[in-house]
Amino acid sequence: MGGVSTAIDITLNSLVLGGVFLIVAIGLNIIYGLSRVMNLAHGSLYALGAYSGYTLVSTGLNFFVALLLAPLLVGVAGLLIERTVIAPMRSRSIVYTLILTYGLMFFIDGLIKYTWGNEPRFIDLPAFMRETLPILGTHYPVFRLMTLLITAVVMAGLMLFLSRTKTGMTLRASSTIPEMVSCLGVNMKYVHIGAFVLGSVLAGIAGIIAGPLTTIDPIMGHEMLISSFVVIVIGGLGSLRGAVIAALLIGAVQTLAEFFITDLAMVIVYMLMAIILAIKPRGILGEGKFE
Amino acid sequence: MMIDRTSIPADTKYLTPASIAAIAVVAVALVMLPFVWDNRFYISLINEMLIFGLLAMSLDVLLGYTGLLSFMHNAYLGIGAYVVGLFLIHISPTSIWFAALVGIAATSLIALPVGWVQVRTGGLAFALLTLAFGMMFHTVVWKWYSLTGGDDGLMGVPTPEVHLFGWSLGTTGDPKVMYLTTVVVVGLCYLLTRRIIHSPFGSVLEAIRENEDRAAFVGINVRRYKLYGWMLACMLASIAGALFILYKGYIGPTTMSAFSGAGVLMMVLLGGMGTLWGPLIGAVIFIYISDYISTMTEHWEIYLGLVVILLVLFLPTGFVGIGDHLKRFLKRKG
Amino acid sequence: MEEFLCTEDLCRHFGGVMATNKVCIDIEANGLRSIIGPNGAGKTTFINVVTGRLPASSGKVTFRGRDITNKPTHKLVKMGICRTFQITSIFQNLTVFENVRIAKQARLGGSLRVFSARKSLKAVTEQTWAILERLELQDLADQPAKNLAYGDQRVLEVAIALAGEPQILFLDEPTAGMSPAETQHISELIRGLADEISVVLVEHDMDLVMSISDVISVLHYGSIIAEGKPEEIQNNEMVREAYLGKEE
Repeated sequence: MGGVSTAIDITLNSLVLGGVFLIVAIGLNIIYGLSRVMNLAHGSLYALGAYSGYTLVSTGLNFFVALLLAPLLVGVAGLLIERTVIAPMRSRSIVYTLILTYGLMFFIDGLIKYTWGNEPRFIDLPAFMRETLPILGTHYPVFRLMTLLITAVVMAGLMLFLSRTKTGMTLRASSTIPEMVSCLGVNMKYVHIGAFVLGSVLAGIAGIIAGPLTTIDPIMGHEMLISSFVVIVIGGLGSLRGAVIAALLIGAVQTLAEFFITDLAMVIVYMLMAIILAIKPRGILGEGKFE
Repeated sequence: MMIDRTSIPADTKYLTPASIAAIAVVAVALVMLPFVWDNRFYISLINEMLIFGLLAMSLDVLLGYTGLLSFMHNAYLGIGAYVVGLFLIHISPTSIWFAALVGIAATSLIALPVGWVQVRTGGLAFALLTLAFGMMFHTVVWKWYSLTGGDDGLMGVPTPEVHLFGWSLGTTGDPKVMYLTTVVVVGLCYLLTRRIIHSPFGSVLEAIRENEDRAAFVGINVRRYKLYGWMLACMLASIAGALFILYKGYIGPTTMSAFSGAGVLMMVLLGGMGTLWGPLIGAVIFIYISDYISTMTEHWEIYLGLVVILLVLFLPTGFVGIGDHLKRFLKRKG
Repeated sequence: MEEFLCTEDLCRHFGGVMATNKVCIDIEANGLRSIIGPNGAGKTTFINVVTGRLPASSGKVTFRGRDITNKPTHKLVKMGICRTFQITSIFQNLTVFENVRIAKQARLGGSLRVFSARKSLKAVTEQTWAILERLELQDLADQPAKNLAYGDQRVLEVAIALAGEPQILFLDEPTAGMSPAETQHISELIRGLADEISVVLVEHDMDLVMSISDVISVLHYGSIIAEGKPEEIQNNEMVREAYLGKEE
């Protein structure tokens, strides 16, 4: 009895965690796949999503309205970042972009601390989301199920966008043969901007849905950045399907490890990463398969 | 035209008369300093600059010479420092040189498998993994309370006597003794690293930095040499760690945090990568400024971030590059 | 006679595209073999697979009877399989001399000397000078490679490859973007090399290919459709169709 409900709890928790990892990691991968930029400030944009969600909700806005607005705000931040500091780096070695976005990470984290302080914050959820729902002998929080649902909707929307719309197909083509796509009259500049903004919006979505799961604090971005690195490196840099597999895997492993050994759970995750990379250095599905 | 077939044109020489003179002047000045200017605060500050200078220089071996980016090179300073500290506390409180050797060996043992995985993955993933593994080490020292003291840090590290050729200088608790030890060790490490960089081995690292693909196609085992470069950088960092724990008598997890890692990266950027001495200067500037700013504002993360961004955008060659910019500017004027 | 470099049913596909499709080729131990074909025929992919830059999807490459399929690049180079690239690939910030010297050092050994000076590798230094003189680059020896004219950079790339003491040398469009005078210079060089070692040339310049090749192989959609002496290829119906399209 207890065993079954625990197992269900763990399974659902793995999916929820894996889902959040996935949205953040897919955002990173879209930016990398389409414009060969690895944004180390991505975790900070995720934190920004959580904090702006918090502020919007605490001014009395409905949670679901905030769910739409916060990612848009992060998207605007992404646009500003792309235009001011990322675009000038296009022609330079990726080492410089990495260092630059690393600086950007500290800059945004600093601004977050300056604005919201160091104390943890909590998003006020609508009453019905604070309930629990009985599932096979366990009582599972509704907001976690909502998180799962939102993750599914976002991922489905993204897949449809990339596979069914003309813009999506152009984007996919430009990740493999940018020269050809720019010959077809597509301005690569807009592809780069679009990728960065889309990635930022995804980070924002992940931020606001993760807000109620964890506490919102200034280091949440760092932890998420590292987890999403682990996901994209294991899945294969730039590989969208690889990210799906890896996110679910890491979500499950981390949930299990936290359940059994709590404190050093992350070490288990890194060990797993090291083992996978020792066998498949370019990740499970290999690098650069933008599909 | 006759060509001397034993010479190498535009060779980067280990030591030229000018560099010997410059090194000698700096060395004499550094050694004489505590005897003519007995200011404990500044002697300690310079001591810290030299230790982090060594760390920044070791990162330069990786970044400036091998073309590999490590975001958390401070982790290897940290590992070295913890190991030396634990050795002095639990095993032998007096054998300072042996403790340092154990520190280097233990750091190498940890860096080897990590490096082995990292070099197999390629350039970008390498950089991301340094961050991931660095964070892992940070978590371990933070959470493993019984061994490392967790958040409180490792305290009560003894201050052993420094013996040099059977002659006792005094204990590391004496700032002057510690300072002189640091000067000698960092000086030797600088000369040694400079020697290595100008050797045939160093030229392999440079070739990998310039063009990894081409390097493989002249017959270089790129992964293996990247690993050698990584190991060299980590060993130097662990030496800095040994000095650090002797100097501070304490180490906490913040020294191994991502934030400190960014600081080291910035020292290299400030000084100019690929020069060895540039990052040493970078460490001096960085520590002086951070010491100054942190007393004025608590939000200094914002400034650190901003300076990194501006440096990359406008002065990627760092302090060393300013000289070249000036030269070009004057030429255009003249 | 011992086989030199052979491929058996060598394949490489990208997704569903067969860039190299069951290629069987038998290259002689000396002479000049050209590989031609329309754009996108898979010439560069073929070289990439043979020289270990891309893994083969299936099939086999043998060199002097040994299976070398998917061996790491640096090992192939040590066996004497060297190449140049379509897009100039040199060590931009190193001097011309260092560009060649590092290749020579990788060939002759000494890369693990950590405490000696670079010039202490005497044989490396001398042989580097010899290669530079042969390719008439000695006057540029102290220049950073990035300062060189484009044509000189292409020659430098050949020099780097030669420093590896190749038994077989793959040249991927060495004359791309060169002036007629530079092309003339490099074609004489290639012809000279082909008398000593085996040279495999991928080239678009038909006049050049027809004038200097011993044997020509024609690739089309990843497969070899014809092989023979220049005059045979010129008169081959299938080759004409591949280039000009079939007349309806």
